[in-house]
Amino acid sequence: MTTATDVLPRGETSERLDLDIPYVLLVWNDPVNLMSYVSYVFRSHFGYSQSKADALMMEVHQQGHSVVATGTLEKIEADVAAMHSYGLWATFQRADQG
Amino acid sequence: MARAFKSTPRGFTARLDTTERDLLRGLFEDVAQVLAPGHDGEAPAGEVDPLWAMVGMDPRTHAAGFAAPTDAAERRLLPDAVRDDPEAALEYRRLTETSLRETKTGNLKAAALAMETGNLVFDTAAANQFAQALNDVRLVLAERLELRDEADAERIADMTDARNVGDVDEYLALLYNFVTWLQETLMQALLGDL
Repeated sequence: MTTATDVLPRGETSERLDLDIPYVLLVWNDPVNLMSYVSYVFRSHFGYSQSKADALMMEVHQQGHSVVATGTLEKIEADVAAMHSYGLWATFQRADQG
Repeated sequence: MARAFKSTPRGFTARLDTTERDLLRGLFEDVAQVLAPGHDGEAPAGEVDPLWAMVGMDPRTHAAGFAAPTDAAERRLLPDAVRDDPEAALEYRRLTETSLRETKTGNLKAAALAMETGNLVFDTAAANQFAQALNDVRLVLAERLELRDEADAERIADMTDARNVGDVDEYLALLYNFVTWLQETLMQALLGDL
């Protein structure tokens, strides 16, 4: 005779809760990507307005990096892949990290 | 002599002469070669197990010895997605690198094919794809030229006259500036239409 296990032990739900923590996508400065290109990518991929895209691009250029998008891990991972296909230097991390 | 990209009712158009097209085609093919698995001692492309193919995964990236590329140009095309955490970066790479290689190789091959004619006419999607291919060429040339900071960029930007070319680096710089110019005109045309 067997019985179905009803629930996971409490301690094992932490990974599921991690999904609720927002992640951020950072774009890092490099001396190769054109300013016009970076703005274009921000506008065409994320649908940002010209002023928002230009402001983010200038932040990357002047501060060395900028948080360009925030969202679930799944969304941010896909956005990073898109940024890499454009050749931008993008990374992701949990929003509560450094 | 090349004519800049512009936005027209037919699409994004530019004109390139034969020499320019041959140069660009060679560059697109070279960069596609950098992205070909096996060019740098990695496992060569072999027969893909149908079961792996069915789930869209590449057994090479799940093999025990899988690592980030060691070639600097290849690594610039396929950068780490997580900073200061090699293990997490490698995990992301396992899941995404093959697809990224395929996307970039597809862009570069389409760009090389577009060099068959001197009158380029792109719709927005094709123009976007061409811009990505041009950018990957610039990233690889910049890596070969050891372009690391704004001062290097200014030094390289001065090389615009073919009559002054004396060595390989100056030739690469000339190519870099030509591709940069072409991409900038394409960006102005695309941005003007957004």
